[in-house]
Amino acid sequence: MNQTLSIISATLLTFFILSCEKELSINDDGNLVPKTVDQDASLPSITVNNTQLHAETFGNPANRMLVILHGGPGSDYRYLLNCKAFANQGYYVVFYDQRGSGLSKRHPKSIYSIQIMLDDLSAVIAHYKTSASQRVFLLGHSWGAMLATAYINAYPKSISGAILAEPGGFIWQDVLDYVGRSRSFRLTSETLNDATYLDQFITGKQNEQAILDYKFSLMASADESAESSLGNDGPLPFWRSGAVIQEALFEVGNKEKPDWTTNLNLYTNKILFIYSERNKSYGLAHAQKVSSAYPNIQLEKIIGAGHDMISFPTGWSTFYPKALNYLNAL
Amino acid sequence: MNTTKLIFIFCFITMSFCHAQTINWASLQREQRHITSLNTGLDYGVTFGLAYHCQLKTTLPIVVGAEYSIPSGKNLVDDFKTKVGGTIRWISIGDFQFSTKVEGVFRRYENNYVRLNNFGSDLSGIIGYYRPKWFLAGEVGFDKAIVTHFKHTDLMKENFAAKDGWYNPATGGNLYYGVQSGLSWRSHDLTLKAGRIVSQDFKTKPLLPLYVQFGYNLKIK
Repeated sequence: MNQTLSIISATLLTFFILSCEKELSINDDGNLVPKTVDQDASLPSITVNNTQLHAETFGNPANRMLVILHGGPGSDYRYLLNCKAFANQGYYVVFYDQRGSGLSKRHPKSIYSIQIMLDDLSAVIAHYKTSASQRVFLLGHSWGAMLATAYINAYPKSISGAILAEPGGFIWQDVLDYVGRSRSFRLTSETLNDATYLDQFITGKQNEQAILDYKFSLMASADESAESSLGNDGPLPFWRSGAVIQEALFEVGNKEKPDWTTNLNLYTNKILFIYSERNKSYGLAHAQKVSSAYPNIQLEKIIGAGHDMISFPTGWSTFYPKALNYLNAL
Repeated sequence: MNTTKLIFIFCFITMSFCHAQTINWASLQREQRHITSLNTGLDYGVTFGLAYHCQLKTTLPIVVGAEYSIPSGKNLVDDFKTKVGGTIRWISIGDFQFSTKVEGVFRRYENNYVRLNNFGSDLSGIIGYYRPKWFLAGEVGFDKAIVTHFKHTDLMKENFAAKDGWYNPATGGNLYYGVQSGLSWRSHDLTLKAGRIVSQDFKTKPLLPLYVQFGYNLKIK
C-alpha cells in the first residue's frame, strides 16, 4: 500500500514539475514558424502591389534579368537557391517568395487569385528592372512553371524566354491528372497516415495562419518519403509553407478551370522544358502533352533526378549547363 | 516464453484493434463484468485497436476501461492513441437508452520533423434504440487536444529552429457525429459505427473527414 502511494505521489509530483514549464502559444509567429517580412524588419523585402514580399537579388542589376518562380503554391525559394549560380554567368537573378508563401506577408484567403499572382510578378519585374531594354527571363519550377506560362500567355512580349521545370499543366485537367498521380498513396501507407493522423493534434482557423503553415510544413515529409512517386533525393530545405494560398489557388483552379494556353501559339521564342527521369508521375508522355502548347520547345530530360531536380546535386549538375546554354543562346 | 511476455502479448491482442468501445446496453448482462474488444477502421487514418472495459457493480450501469489504437504504416509504434475513461448509461425508457462517455486521451504523433505528445479529452453522448439482439444509436462527441508537447528533429531545425515545449491553449479539437449499430448473440457483439468529423471552428474539415469502425466485443462473466 505504501509503495502504491509512493508511486502515485511521485507521478503527481512529476506532473506538477512538468506543468511548471512555461507554455508556448501555438499561433505566435516565431514559435513554430518563422516571422514574415512584415513582422521581422531584418529580412530582405520589397513592397509592391499592396503587399510585402520576401525578396533578394544576386548579380549586376544591369545584366539580363532571371526571375526565379518557386513551386507550391505555398512553397518558398529556399530550395531553388542553387540558381544563384546564374549571377556569376552574367545574369541578374531575382528571387522572391510569392504572396502568402515563404516569408512573404500573409493575406486573407479571399484575396488570392491568378490575376493577383500575375500582377505581383509584373510588379517584381518593374521593381528590379533597371532599363526599358533589359531582357527578362523566367525560371519556374512546378507551380512556378505554371505561373510563368500564365504570365507569358497574358504578357508574351514582356518575356524573352523561360525555363519550365515539370509544370503540372497549363490547362486545369492536366493539372488535376498530374496532382492525382503525384498525390496517390496507399490507404494504409505511413505517408498517408502521417498526413491524416495529424488532424487530431493540430487544428487551425483560416485566420490562424501560423498554425496552418506549420501543419502544412509537416506534410512536406510526404514528398520526401520512399512511397512518393516524385523520386526526390531527400528532404527539401524550406523557410515557411503557405497553407492558405495553396488552398485558395487550388479552389480558384477548381472553380475557374483556367486555360493558360490560349495565346501560347503566338509565342515563338524557344522554351526550355525540363522533366526528370525519376518522377514516376510525370514522364515523357506528360511532358510532351503539356509542352505541346508552345510552338518552339527544347524538351530535356534530367537523368538521375526527381521532381526537385534543381535542388539536389545530381539533378543540378545536369540541369545547370542545359539551362545556361539555353539562356546564353537566346 | 516467460509470464511477462505472455501477459504483454495477451494485453496487446486483447487491447490492437479503436475509436471507442461500442456497447449494446440491452444485451449486456449485469454479471458480465469484463468486456474485451478488437476493432479496425478509419480514425484519422486506417487504425487497429483493442480495448478492455469492466462493468462496475453500481445502480446505474457504468463501464470503465482503457483503449489503445495504432494507425497502419511502416512504423507501427511511432503513432498511437490511448484512452482511459468510462461510459454511464443514464436513462432507460423502454428500449431507448441514453449514455455519456468521458475519456482522457494520450496520443503520440511522429514524422521526420517532429514528435508530438498530447493530452486531451473525448466527450460524447449516445442515444439509441437497444434490443437484446441488435441496436441502432446516434452519437455526438468532441475530441479535444488540450495540451501538446512538441519535440522537433534535427531535420526540422535545419529549416527553422522551432521551439520545443508544451503548447497551450488547446492545440486542436474536432467534433464528430454519426451512428452506431450492431448485432449481439450470447456473449458476443459485432458493431459498426460511422460518421463525420469537422474541426472545432465548424468550417474546416480534417483531411479524412469521416470515421468508420468495425468492432467485436467478447463479454466475460
